[in-house]
Amino acid sequence: MSLERADDHDHDAWLEEKDLTPVEHTFLTVLIWMDRRLRLVDYLELLESMYYRINFQLPKSHTEQYNLDNKFWYWYPLYALGSFSTLAYIVAAVSGALLGFYYAPSAATGACASAMGGSVDGASVAYCSITSIMTDLNFGYMLRSIHRWAAQVMTAAVFLHMLRVYFTGAYKEPRELNWLIGIVLISLTMMFGYTGYLLPWDQLSYWASQIGVEMALSIPLAGEWVAQLVFGGFAPGAATLRRMYILHVFLLPFVVTTLIAVHIGIVWMQGIAEPH
Amino acid sequence: MTDNTDTAADAQTDGGNAPVPPDDETPTWRERKERRVGLSRLTYEYFERARREDQDLRQESDYVERDVLAFPTWPHEVIRNLSLTAFFVGMIFFLSATLPPHIAAPANPSQTPAIILPDWYLYWSFGLLKLGPLNPELAILGGEKLMADRAYGVIANLVVVGAIAVVPFLNKGSARRPVEEPFWASIGVAGVVFSITIAALSMKNLLPIDPHLLFDLTFLLPIVVGGLSYAVLKTMREGYMFDLNRRYYRLRPPK
Repeated sequence: MSLERADDHDHDAWLEEKDLTPVEHTFLTVLIWMDRRLRLVDYLELLESMYYRINFQLPKSHTEQYNLDNKFWYWYPLYALGSFSTLAYIVAAVSGALLGFYYAPSAATGACASAMGGSVDGASVAYCSITSIMTDLNFGYMLRSIHRWAAQVMTAAVFLHMLRVYFTGAYKEPRELNWLIGIVLISLTMMFGYTGYLLPWDQLSYWASQIGVEMALSIPLAGEWVAQLVFGGFAPGAATLRRMYILHVFLLPFVVTTLIAVHIGIVWMQGIAEPH
Repeated sequence: MTDNTDTAADAQTDGGNAPVPPDDETPTWRERKERRVGLSRLTYEYFERARREDQDLRQESDYVERDVLAFPTWPHEVIRNLSLTAFFVGMIFFLSATLPPHIAAPANPSQTPAIILPDWYLYWSFGLLKLGPLNPELAILGGEKLMADRAYGVIANLVVVGAIAVVPFLNKGSARRPVEEPFWASIGVAGVVFSITIAALSMKNLLPIDPHLLFDLTFLLPIVVGGLSYAVLKTMREGYMFDLNRRYYRLRPPK
C-alpha cells in the first residue's frame, strides 16, 4: 500500500481509454485542469439548477391571469421609467468617470484661451479644465454633453417614476419602505445634480452655491455648523468647490448606488404592483 | 463502467463524508433551535407561528391562493426593460449630440447676474424659499415672526418632502386606479399642479404677471384643478366601480 492516496477519479486513465481526437483530448485536458483549480463543474451545475428552477414553470403574470391586457398595455412605458432612470445613472457614471480624468476641482486662477483669442478673465482652473474638455479634447464636448444629458434625463425619469408610482397606488401597503427609500433617492438625485452643476465654477455655479450656503445658514440652531461642514465656510470659495467635488464623485456615488441596489432588490422580492 | 470506484474501503483518513453518529449528549438541530434564548428564540417562535398560519390559511375551504402576488420582476419586467435599453441609451446620445451643454461666464463674486436660477429640477425648492408672505406675524410675539423668512422657506422644503413620505401610511387598501380613490388621485393632481405653480413663483421676476396675482394663483390653481379632477373622477367612479367590484369579489370571495 503506497503512501500516495488512491485517485478516486483517475481522469488520465479515463482519457487513455476514450481514444479521443487531439481536439477533444486538448479540450478535456484543459477542462480538467481548470476544474481542478476553479471548480468549474460545480458552478456550472449551480447555474444549471438555477436555470431549471427559473424556467421550470413561468408563473402567469397578473395581467395574463385576470385578462387585464387591454387595460394595461398602454401604461407599460410608464412602468419602464424606473429602469430608465437606472440606465441614465449608469450612463452618467461611466461618462462621469471619464470626465474625471480631465477635470481639476480647483478654484485657483487658471489660464485658458477664449474662443475669440486672448484669455478669459477671472477663470479658475476648474473652469479652464471644462473649457479645455469642450474645445481641446477629442470628443470632449460629446463626453460632457452625454454626462449632462444623462443627469437631466435621470432626474426627469425619477420624477415621472414617482408620479407613476403615486397614481397607480404602487406605494401601498407592503411597499411603504420602498416609497421612503425612493424619496431619499430622489432627494439624493437632486443633490447629485446640484453638486454637479457647481463643478464648472461659472457664474451659475457660484451663485447657486451662494444660495446653498444661505439655505444652510438659515437652518435654526445647526445652521453655521452645517454650512461649515457641507460648504466649507460662510461664503462660496475654493473649499466649497472641493467639498462639492468630493460629495459628487465620492460620497454620493457610494450611497446612491447602494440605495438603488436595495430599492431594486425590494422590487424584485415584492414584484411590480399593478393596477387591478 | 470500468472506473475503479469501489475503493471505499481504502484508507480515507479524513473520515470521508459519513456524518459522525450523534451520541446522547449531542442536541439535534431542532433542539438547538428551540433551546435558544432572547431574540433568536423569538425569531424561531415567529417562524413557527407564521408557518402554522400559512398552513391554516391554506386549509380553509374558501381560501383562494394566487400564484402571483404582483407582476414578476424577473423575468417579465426585466426582459421588457432590457429590450428598451438600447432605445433609451440611444435617446440620451441623440440628445447630447444635438444639444451640447452651455457654459456661462466664469465665477465672479463681485458681479451678481440679472437672473439667478438653479437647474430646472430645483425650481420647486427655490420657489418654496419665496414663501415669506405666508410666514405669520404672531400677535403673541408683538407682531414679530417666529422665524426668519429664509428659515421658513427651508422648513417648507422639509414639510413638502415629509408630506410625500407619509402618504403610504395614510392611504391603505388595495385600490390602485385613480378612479377608485378620487380623493387621493386629486391630491396627486393638486400636488403636480402645485409643483408647476411654485416653479413659476420661483422665477416671478421673469414672468409678465403681477407678482401678487402670481402668488395667489400659486395656491389657488392647485386647489381648483384638484377639485375639478375630484369631480371628474367621482363621476367616472359610478360607472367604473360596478365592473371593478364584480371582478374584485370574483377573485376574493367574501368570507
